[in-house]
This record gives sequence, C-alpha cells and structure tokens, in this order.
Amino acid sequence: MIGEHDVLVVGAGCAGMRAAIAAHDAGADVAMISKLHPTRSHSGAAEGGINAALGNAKEDSPEIHAYDTVKGSDFIGDQDAIEIFTAEAPGDIYQLEHWGAFFSRREDGKLAQRPFGAAGSPRTVYAADITGHVLIQVLYEQVVKRDIKVYEEFFAWQLVLNDERCQGVICWDLLNGGLKTVGGKTVVIATGGAGRQYRVTTNAYACTGDGTAMALHSGLPLKDMEFMQFHPTTLYPSGVLLTEGIRGEGGYLLNKDGERFMKNYAPNALELASRDVVSRSEQTEIDEGRGVNGSVMLDMRHIGAERIIERLPGSRELAMTFAGIDPIYEPVPVRPGAHYHMGGIETDNEGATELTGLYAAGECACVSVHGANRLGGNSLMETITFGRRAGTAAAEWALTHTTIEVPESLERDAERSLRELLDRGSGERPWKIREDLGSSMLENFAVFRREDQMVRQREILLELRERYKHVYVEDKGEVFNSDLTQAIELGNMLDTALCMVEAGIWRKESRGAHARPYDYPKRDDENFMVHSITRWRDDGVELSTSPVRVTKWEPEERKY
Amino acid sequence: MQVALKIWRYDSSTGDRVLRDYEFDAPDEATLLDCLDIVKDKLDGTLAYRKSCRMMICGSCGMRMDGAAVLACKMRMHDIAQSGHIPVISAMGNLPIVKDLVVDMDPFWDKFKAMKPYLQPGYDRPADGKEYRISQERMNAVHKEALCINCGCCVSECNAMESDPEFLGPQALAKGMRFVGDPRDAHKVERLEEYSGEHGIWECTRCFFCNERCPKGVDPRDAIAKLGAEAIKEGIDRDMGAKHAKWFIRSTETTGWLRETELVPKTQGVVSSVKQMKFAMGLLKHGKAGLSFPPDIAADVDEARFLHKIVHAQGRLGYEGHVQGEHALAKLAHGYEEGGRDPYGPGSFPRPYLPGEEPSSNGGAEEK
Repeated sequence: MIGEHDVLVVGAGCAGMRAAIAAHDAGADVAMISKLHPTRSHSGAAEGGINAALGNAKEDSPEIHAYDTVKGSDFIGDQDAIEIFTAEAPGDIYQLEHWGAFFSRREDGKLAQRPFGAAGSPRTVYAADITGHVLIQVLYEQVVKRDIKVYEEFFAWQLVLNDERCQGVICWDLLNGGLKTVGGKTVVIATGGAGRQYRVTTNAYACTGDGTAMALHSGLPLKDMEFMQFHPTTLYPSGVLLTEGIRGEGGYLLNKDGERFMKNYAPNALELASRDVVSRSEQTEIDEGRGVNGSVMLDMRHIGAERIIERLPGSRELAMTFAGIDPIYEPVPVRPGAHYHMGGIETDNEGATELTGLYAAGECACVSVHGANRLGGNSLMETITFGRRAGTAAAEWALTHTTIEVPESLERDAERSLRELLDRGSGERPWKIREDLGSSMLENFAVFRREDQMVRQREILLELRERYKHVYVEDKGEVFNSDLTQAIELGNMLDTALCMVEAGIWRKESRGAHARPYDYPKRDDENFMVHSITRWRDDGVELSTSPVRVTKWEPEERKY
Repeated sequence: MQVALKIWRYDSSTGDRVLRDYEFDAPDEATLLDCLDIVKDKLDGTLAYRKSCRMMICGSCGMRMDGAAVLACKMRMHDIAQSGHIPVISAMGNLPIVKDLVVDMDPFWDKFKAMKPYLQPGYDRPADGKEYRISQERMNAVHKEALCINCGCCVSECNAMESDPEFLGPQALAKGMRFVGDPRDAHKVERLEEYSGEHGIWECTRCFFCNERCPKGVDPRDAIAKLGAEAIKEGIDRDMGAKHAKWFIRSTETTGWLRETELVPKTQGVVSSVKQMKFAMGLLKHGKAGLSFPPDIAADVDEARFLHKIVHAQGRLGYEGHVQGEHALAKLAHGYEEGGRDPYGPGSFPRPYLPGEEPSSNGGAEEK
C-alpha cells in the first residue's frame, strides 16, 4: 500500500472534487485518484449551466424545480431524492459563488439565470457557455487551498473488498508504471459517464465508465442502466456538444426546408421541450428524409452577432473549428448524440451503496434524480449537491472506524491478471473492437429501440467480449502506457453496455430516453414504474427491480 | 486524405530520442489529435500523448507542431496535408519530457499553486447569505484570465522561463491576475507583493509568445501587464522592473523623451550603476550614449503631459486602465466585424418558418 486515507475519492471531476472538499471539511484525511489531472475531467466540458431555484430572473421555488425534474424523469426519478436535491441546490450555488465561481451576472449584480428545456422558470445559472469549466476551476482552487492529496494519472482498476467492506483501490500508475494500492476507510466513486460506448458522443475519450464497471465487477447493483440520454445538439460530424443554452437563448431547430419542426412535436415548448422529446423529433425528421446529411440545422442567425459573441462564444468557436461554420451567418448541422447516463451505481440519498464503506456520486451514480430522462442543467447541480452529501457521509463513517487492511492475496491476484493482459504476445488490437462497439450501440441501442435490434446487440456484445479475451496490448513499457489503460477501458465499456442492453430488452414500454415506438409505444406504469437493477453474476448479467420512491407527485401524461 | 507526420519519439528509460515518419489515410475533417489516434491504433501502439475532451476545454493535448505549441484537438490537418508539408510533432518546451509527447507537468502545477490560486474573501460576505452583488462589467476585467484551461502552451513558448526556469511564468501569473482583478478577493495587495518578488511579474521579457500561442485567447502577457500596472498603482515598486517602468513614465511626463542615460541609475540604483561606469564610458566613447544637461525637452511635451493627466482624471491607473473587458470580449469575436454579409441573403439557408406558415422565399435552397 502506498497510502492510507480516511476517505479516498476515485475521479476528480465536479462530483469527486466536491466530495473531497466536503470530506476534508468534515475533518477527514482525504485523497483523490484521477486517471487524468483534476482540471482535465469532463465536467469541465459542460457548457450551458447549473439549475437552482434562486428566483433571480422570475419567481421560482424548489418545489417547482422538483416537479419539473419529476416530470422530466418520466416519473421514475426517486422523489425524496429530488426534493432534497432541489431544496439544497440554492445553498450549494451560493457556496460556489462565495468560493469565487465566475458566473455571469444580471444588471442588478445578482447571478444571471437562463431558460432551459422543460423548466418552468429560467433557473439555469451559467457562465457564458463554459459553466463546467468555471466549476472545475473553482473546485480545483478549493482543493489546492485545502492541500488535498491527488494521485494524478492513477488508473483505478479494482476495488479492495475485505471483511465485507470496501477498503481501498488498486490502481495502475500511468506515469511510472506498476500496480499501486491506495487504502481508504471509505471510497467514493465519482468517475463520470461512459458515452464512449457510442460512436457519436459528446463525451471525452476518458468517459469509459471505469468506476461503474469496477463496482459492477465487485458485485454491486447498477440501476436504470437502459437510460442513456441523447443530446439533441451535437455537432456534425465530430459529435462535439453544442449547449442547450443556444436554444435557451432562442436558437431554432430547422429541417432541410427551414421549418421549425418542433412545433409538430411539442407545440408549447418547441425547441425547449425536454431532451428525449427533442432528440426523438430530430431523429424522426432525419429518418423521414427531412434532414440534411443525417442532421438537422441549429439556427442562431436571428439571435444576432452581439448576443452570440457575449453569451455563446464557446459554441461559436466550436462550430467554427470543428465544422468550419460561423453561426452568425449560417445554421449549424446537429444530430442526437450519446451524452449522459441517467443510470449508474445504486446509492441512497447520502451516496451510500450496498457495500459498507463504498459511496458513489455524479454521473456514475444513480440516486436517482434523473429517472428516465435528465433535464439540462440538473447534472452539474447533482454533482455538487450529491458530491457534497456523499463526501460528508463517507467522512462521518470513516471517522468512527479505524483500520484498513488489504490482503496481499488481492494484490497478487490483481498483479497476475494485469500481467496476463500486458504480457500477451499477440491478439486483436483494441481499436477495432472499440469501433465495432461504438457503431453497433449507435445502430441498435440509441434514440429509438426495437426488440430485434436489442437482441442482436446483445449477441454482438457477447461476440465482442469473446474477441476482447484476446485483446493485444502492443506497448509493453511501464512509462505512460496508455495502450494498456485504453485496453482496460474497452473491457469496462463492454460489460456496462451489456447491462444497458439487458435492461433495455427487459423494459417493455416507452419511458424517457427508452423509446420503443414499434412495439411498446406507451408508458406502462402498471408494470414498469420500477427501477431496473443489473448485477454481474457468473460472467453475465442478472436482472431484478426496485421500487420507485414517490412522495407527492402521481404519474401523469407528459406533454411539453 | 493522405497525411504524413514526423514525430519526435523519446524513451525516458533509455534516453533514446528519434524522429519517426508516419504516413496514413485520415478523414478530411481530422485534427492533429485524430491523426495521432490513427498512428497509435493502427501503426504504433507505443506512441504516448495525453488526450481527453477533444473539444479544446480539458487542456490535455498541448504539444508542439513545427516548433510552436498547439492544442492537438484544435489543429485541423486538411490544409497542411493538402499543401504537402510534413509537420514535425514534438513535446512542449520548458517542461521535462516523460515519454514521446508527454511532459512532466509538476513544475507547471507547482507554480500554479504558488500563486495561492483561490479566492481569499474578506469579512464582507453578503448579509443575506446569497451571492455577492457584482456587475458583469466589473467581472469582465478578468474574463480572459478565467478562460485558462491550464494546457501549458504559453509556458512551452515562454522565453523568460527558458533563461530562468524558476520564473512563475505566463500561466501562473494569469491565474494570479484572475484573483487580483476579482472584487470579491480581499488580498490584492498581499498578492501583488508576492507576485512582484524574484521570478515574478517583472521577469517577463514581453516577447508576447504566450499571447500568440494561447489556444483560448487568455493573453497571459496582458495579464502580466495588468499585474504590473496594479502593483505600481499600489506603490509596490521595489523591483527593478517596476522602477524601470516608472522611469519611462516619469521621463516622458517631464521631458517628452525617454532619457536612457538616467534609466540605469533610476532602475538599478546609484551603487549598482557606479559599478557599470566602465561600460557606460565605453558607450559614451563610441557615441552610443549621450549626456545632455539640462535635459532636452521635446517641443510637444504638453501632449505627453496631457495624456498623463487624462489617465489620472479618468482613474485609469492600474489594471482597469489597461486591458478592459470590452477588449477581452472583442478578442473573442474571432475576426467578426459589423456589417458582414446578410445571413439571409441569396444562397443562404432558408429563413425559418413555423409549420402552417408559408416558407419564406427569402434566401433559400432553391437559390443555391
């Protein structure tokens, strides 16, 4: 063991850093593990904003925020968690502002708030269109201030399970090579999403669901894995995210004729309907031949140069760099792309998992605040509020327990299986398997889902897992061996993808991001108003369910 | 498209350094990062480089192309490949190389941390527990500094750091300015004191390479200039660099000229200057310096004096008089100028219409 800590946080994006800060402030000795550097985390790529009912722009309340979130979740979000979430969000925003977050301001000097999809009031606090960047910076600043130890470029690979609790993490040291064990009385997983399972995604290369897979392989339950959000405006062809804030600022979605087609699908909210609705509408337009090169057009021309430059400079730069288009003059081609995983490691409202000493927060976790569909601006807020709660709870447990014990046999086993992979003399290079995974998931498990396609996708995944058993790592060196870590990431993505598809086949209804227009076009509250639970058993997926926690909102028809 | 690259490979365990050639096919829209991925996947799995977001925000993929720092994900390769040029890719400068294109960022982050890069608020927190009330205009003063993604491109190109590796450098100083200019921070003077020490603000050689190479428009040199101006405004001017700058002001204000002969004693002090007498005599002898007493006063000196008065009258001393928010935002306009072409003119994408309305004939695909 190279270090022992009260609280060990895996992942150093918004949720991880917020958890670490909270645990530190609760008096615990904290360390973070990141396969990158904290500021490189993909939370930093969030653009549009973070939701809290401050009421600065228009009257608002945590209760309205909660209702919007419940409705957005297609009534499968856990309402007690959502009520905690929306009630604590404003305080968390003020805390960030007091730490120095560089948010955009109103005329009166208060925090500005912009409209976002499916929100009853303009409640999205933002920093132009670089909100995630601003949050990552302010959180890292606070981490530096507290001198919290970060194991940078450490690739977390396996949880240490001993005495029926989690006591640390076995990592691969990217810079120097070698497996290193870091002990923790409690471990908080905050490793983010796994959008890289799809060929078209807004996610970074780093978003491979390592923490989710680590928990899965340790026998923990994953919840609602079938719900993968497709963001309606990812830039063609790169898949880079263009913020919902563009539509919040008044942007139009047009088909090839210039028609604002959203009027046909969401007559009231139009472009600002919830993301699942907009993505489905776009995909319908594209499938029925009214798209442009497999895309629709995002039009900002009428917003005007001045406002585009002031409020959406980053989006304009992305469009100019990656599509060669200046949105002041021309609409930008966009299409739905894999963006956010509503599902993840099942936790309670304090971030605790089924396993003693193990917590999770952020995109890798499923509390569940987002249910079947997340509202724009709610994920950054979730990282902060539930990151804080998980960090506090992990610290409290750690401070009342004393020992960390890592059996040598665990480290030896890990070493053996790592060497087996690293020393393999031949086999298939990971890239082809990765490409096949990305294309097949996009084809068979994306915006619209059909029974036969999902069943085929399960077979494809099983084949890919067979091929993966012979994956070949060409780099045999110890120093910065990203060939090795990329191969491990691929294995992680294959296993979590299998959970998603299995849960998708099981859910015989249309709810939120899980749309089955061909066989089960309606929501079926009688049989499926439950969470799916997937576990790893005997090298495969075992399915079960858990109840949805309802406090005051009964399911109703969802219209925008 | 066909792409060719030369990549400097480095193995820190053996110290071997070799320039390798790679040729491959890539999609037309490929960036330098996409090209490196193709090399790693299909040609050589041992190639090491950092990457993550591929959208210019995580700051992982700073490296050099033909000797100048770039973000690999921002660098479109099409035109370069078409021109037949074969770019040379290497690791960033001023930081130790770990392997191939991966550098040791520890010295970079050590300097970042040395800036106390976190808000140090005073005791005047908002009484209602809510947010500080600050105008957008006020925050815009550090808008550019807040854009920094810590990629290291500026540090890679920093000339001052090449001669003094201890120099805090453009990235750290820009981060410092981000707090000096933040109205919520109560430690401006302490910060300026610390940043004005050895290896600080005044060590910058003003080569402007950092501004040139920053992929995000942070303009670190502007930030350093703002720090310098604010330090002088606060009377923190012990450093020779500050004295040097102050003499420029004093000299132009009094005579309209820069009096170089007096610059050395005013900057370095009398004792130090005496030691350089021999050098000065040499300059005099060869006509490289002149002595005039009383000093020559420029004919239009009033103009220079008037400029000084305006600066004082408008309260534009310190960073606020330097590079203001409006300039920062103008820089982000990426070359946009008012009165450009009509976005709905002939050949443009059809004008938007709602279902049930008549499509507008203005602009439109049929005219393409």
